[in-house]
Amino acid sequence: MLAFLKLNVTQSQQDLEINKMIQIKDLQKIYNGVRVVNVNDLTISVGETVGLIGNNGAGKTTLFRMMLDLIRPDQGAILSKDKDVAKSDDWKSYTTSYLDEGFLIDYLTPEEYFYFTGSLFNLNKAHIDSELNNYTEFFNGEILNRGKYIRDLSKGNQSKVGIVASLLQNPELLMLDEPFANIDPSTQIRLKNMVKELSSKKRITTIISSHDLNHVTEVCERILLMEKGKIIKDIATNSNTLKELEEYFSILS
Amino acid sequence: MGFLVFYLLINVLVVAFFMDKILIKTYPGEDILQTFNSFILYYFLMDLIMRFQLQELPTLSVRPYLHLPISKNQIVNYLSITSLATAFNLTPFLLVIPFLIKVLIPQYGVGAFWGFMACIFGFTLFNHFFSLWLKRKVNLNAFWMLGFFGLLLILWALEFYFKLISVSVISKNLFNAIISQPLFSAGAIGLASATFMINHSYLKINLYLEELQTSKTSVKSSTEIPYLDRFGTVGDLVANELKLILRNKRPRSVLIMCVMFMFYGLIFYNNPKYDGYGHIVFSGMFMTGIFIINYGQFMFSWQSAHFDGILSSRIRADDFFKSKFLLFDVLSTFCFLLTIPYVYFGWKVLIVHFVMCVWNLGVNTVLVLYFANQNYKRIDLSKGGSFNWEGVGASQWILSIPLMVTPFLIYLPLSYYNYPEIGLGAIAIIGLIFIFSREFWLRKLVSIFKTKRYAIAAGFRNQ
Repeated sequence: MLAFLKLNVTQSQQDLEINKMIQIKDLQKIYNGVRVVNVNDLTISVGETVGLIGNNGAGKTTLFRMMLDLIRPDQGAILSKDKDVAKSDDWKSYTTSYLDEGFLIDYLTPEEYFYFTGSLFNLNKAHIDSELNNYTEFFNGEILNRGKYIRDLSKGNQSKVGIVASLLQNPELLMLDEPFANIDPSTQIRLKNMVKELSSKKRITTIISSHDLNHVTEVCERILLMEKGKIIKDIATNSNTLKELEEYFSILS
Repeated sequence: MGFLVFYLLINVLVVAFFMDKILIKTYPGEDILQTFNSFILYYFLMDLIMRFQLQELPTLSVRPYLHLPISKNQIVNYLSITSLATAFNLTPFLLVIPFLIKVLIPQYGVGAFWGFMACIFGFTLFNHFFSLWLKRKVNLNAFWMLGFFGLLLILWALEFYFKLISVSVISKNLFNAIISQPLFSAGAIGLASATFMINHSYLKINLYLEELQTSKTSVKSSTEIPYLDRFGTVGDLVANELKLILRNKRPRSVLIMCVMFMFYGLIFYNNPKYDGYGHIVFSGMFMTGIFIINYGQFMFSWQSAHFDGILSSRIRADDFFKSKFLLFDVLSTFCFLLTIPYVYFGWKVLIVHFVMCVWNLGVNTVLVLYFANQNYKRIDLSKGGSFNWEGVGASQWILSIPLMVTPFLIYLPLSYYNYPEIGLGAIAIIGLIFIFSREFWLRKLVSIFKTKRYAIAAGFRNQ
């Protein structure tokens, strides 16, 4: 009986291990003596949809960049599926992201860009073409076959290209930095539905930052509130969350 | 441009300091000042044509000021004055001043010197503002360009075909007049002021960004390069980089410069004075390696705008470097093929070109990529290439030293002791050793890249 219990415990511990997508330990980044990111302990499980909010300069983008190994942490580490992102490239095979235009190859046409990023995941053109059919509504006729390079698109349309490119690659972990900025209201609504679907149907772990409290509370099941590099609130979203957050931000300003 | 501009500048200075000697040699028995005078207007005509091809229109720099309470006059003045900072406005003075000090001042005194300076100043500014004005006109309506070149053609016909006018005689008379009365140079200054005013008022009326911008809208299509498909991800990366070169202004002008360099050999090979291998080694290295040198010196800055995307995507670092090698291989081989007609000057030339191509592919590729790992400067691809100093830093200057010197360190000692063939052979063997040990260099480059990637990415993010 005791042995059985023990077995059960280790089993559930193992489950827990596998369920962890991102683990952050003791992470610090310092610029000019200012601690811009200072996260002691954070775990994001598989399938979670996490919203990252905070005022400008709270450290959201820096945190994203460290999760993508674009910036070297001064201290601590970020583990993705238990492997340090700075030491192993394994995370690249299941992580896609769109933080800003710096992720787009702007002298390509959107089609060329989709084909190229798809080819990195061994997806052929026919597959990409058929997948792109699912986004006709999202693109609203402004992206494909327009005879334009990405650099000639508006900012909103550029971020549509970046978001769709990262979705096409069938990631397990998706990171989007302020995807709702710059895009028009109908696209915002479509994007919200897409993100909800990702977590419910495909169990994709999604981390989204936003300045729009309405959007994140609607989409995300968990909200991380950052201030001066620290995560000061970590709440499961419920009907009161929006009010709570609005109060917080109105007092702050 | 970095390295190339440096090289051209040195050429200009050498010509300037030996101008009197050159003129005596080429036109013996004539008064050198007279020969000099007869060339000045030709120079400015050439200058005007060159400017028309290469000079940049500074327009986007005013965008942040248009909506602020700054008068249009001030904005237009700002545009005009900032546009003056180009090498085109410096070269005439660099070319002329040493000669004038050596020849003119001893004969005619300081007064004539200042007359010359004022006149050259006037013509330089006239060319400057006239070409800016013309380019803006051409942007709106290409017929202006036809008109301009038509006018040049008529001038050429009148001089060389009908022999009705002679620019050299006009030039001679003009500058002789300035020697006798320096104040005549006020005319040139007046001309410059007039074009400045025309340009000024034209800009003032048309200060709308969409009209001033040079972009022409045409339908862009997706293209594929089937040959590269067989190389997998590496091939895709090369295809992307070729598109980068062809679809952006600045790398495209680098490519055009490379094509122009294919004529470099004519300078040496036509001249019987150059004998032996030394000069072929030099020009052969440049002609077959011009792409590696001229494009490679700014790696990976070309990709600075999407470097974050490269790092966070699934592109493996060794694929990234392999793609650079493949790009160099393809384009340098192409350059070598283009130099084959030089076989006209003897088989010797072709063999040396081949040896230098091997050297470039072996040694210079590694060298250039090693320095690419130390280069943190961002480049904006949409800005024009000529005399654009963005992205030029210490790494380009330091790179040029081993690039220029190393083959000669091997060749010259051996050729000094009369074994030039062995010298060439040594260059070829070292080149081959580097090509066959590329896997080793690749691993070295990748491991350096892995430690430097944060610094490179941070540098590229600095706008």
